[in-house]
Amino acid sequence: MIQRSWKIGGLALLGYVLCMIFFVPLGPGLLEFTSTGSAGHVQDQDRKVTVYALTGFGTHWTESPDQLTVVLRHGTQLASLPLIETLDATHVLVGMDLPYTVPSKSWDVLVTHPVDGTLLLENGVFLQDRFIDEQTKWANPEIAEYPAELPFHFPYQPQILETIRNLMLHVPMWFTMFLLMGISFVASIRQLSTAHDLHQDTKAEASVQIGLLFGALGLVTGSLWARYTWGAWWVDDPQLNGALVTVLVYAGYLVLRATIQNIRLRARLSSVYNLFAFVILIILLMVLPRFSESLHPGKGGNPGFNSYDLDSSLRAVFYPAVLGWMMLGTWMYHVRLKASSIERKLRQLQ
Amino acid sequence: MNHLFFQINPLEGFFFGSGKAMVVAGVAIIILIGLGLWLFRMESRLQRLNDALDQRLNDAQNQPS
Repeated sequence: MIQRSWKIGGLALLGYVLCMIFFVPLGPGLLEFTSTGSAGHVQDQDRKVTVYALTGFGTHWTESPDQLTVVLRHGTQLASLPLIETLDATHVLVGMDLPYTVPSKSWDVLVTHPVDGTLLLENGVFLQDRFIDEQTKWANPEIAEYPAELPFHFPYQPQILETIRNLMLHVPMWFTMFLLMGISFVASIRQLSTAHDLHQDTKAEASVQIGLLFGALGLVTGSLWARYTWGAWWVDDPQLNGALVTVLVYAGYLVLRATIQNIRLRARLSSVYNLFAFVILIILLMVLPRFSESLHPGKGGNPGFNSYDLDSSLRAVFYPAVLGWMMLGTWMYHVRLKASSIERKLRQLQ
Repeated sequence: MNHLFFQINPLEGFFFGSGKAMVVAGVAIIILIGLGLWLFRMESRLQRLNDALDQRLNDAQNQPS
């Protein structure tokens, strides 16, 4: 009964994760702040300004449009921009009426709105046609701050956008592979210490077979994610290349086993190979990418989905996803182990 | 380019709003349940096979040579 209930629990967790992946909306954010190249007229003011278009994602700017505030920020300096027109829920036109002398060329764009709360586009605008005087100080305007009134949603991340849902699939695949390769590593050590019994060797083989399946799924989901965020199916990156080499090293383990007929020699040699394969996994996936430049989150000084940006809504789905995929992987490993054990008994009977 | 694509077709619009998310989630759940049932069935059949093999191995060992 207990054996069956943890398996059902794993499936239930994955069902919950799939529902959350498909039904939780993405929070609002800012996409672009660009000059339209035309001059516009600010309401209530008799002067012309350069018109800039602000593009949002999932924003609600048609609700209470008069309470929308667009602000440029550099350090502690703030400059409020006049609103020209709200085109729709995600597009507004604002006037750039900063003075000719500004403290910096690069400015963050801040937007406050009663529904969406405060949104930020870091280094959203670069002012080419202004004179820079870093000593310039302005009187900061009063900005009304609104707490966001949004339902449960995933956080908006620039570039990643909707593909953030892949976090619940891609990362747990690799965690499950690590778990299974860890089981295989321990089984190989025990096999080397008990040469007369081949059960540990069967365990090591079964866990590598299922681990490889999860590794391949990790590569596929990672490649899809790379296509949408980096623009290429595969990039020359230490993390990606390391992951591929690791999968190939473990595929080599299965090839090695298939080439040796003597079962005791096969168990001993493949156990030794497996120990090195696990060390290679640790080096290629956890050590080397941290010491080199990498596009991949969490490597080479590039922040991962950790305390920096893994917010509570993502945690509520990500942790069950890790647990669920690990339970499914362990279950598949048990089934594979049972099948391998039957194969071994059949060979004994022949 | 991605920004433009997602902005013209935000998932909230064509994926969630059109009800397609329900279909995709439904298919994913059906695949998950199917995988679970297949694993349960496979496990019980393997267990039966294993028990039968154990019996035959015991019989073979107990047979007088």
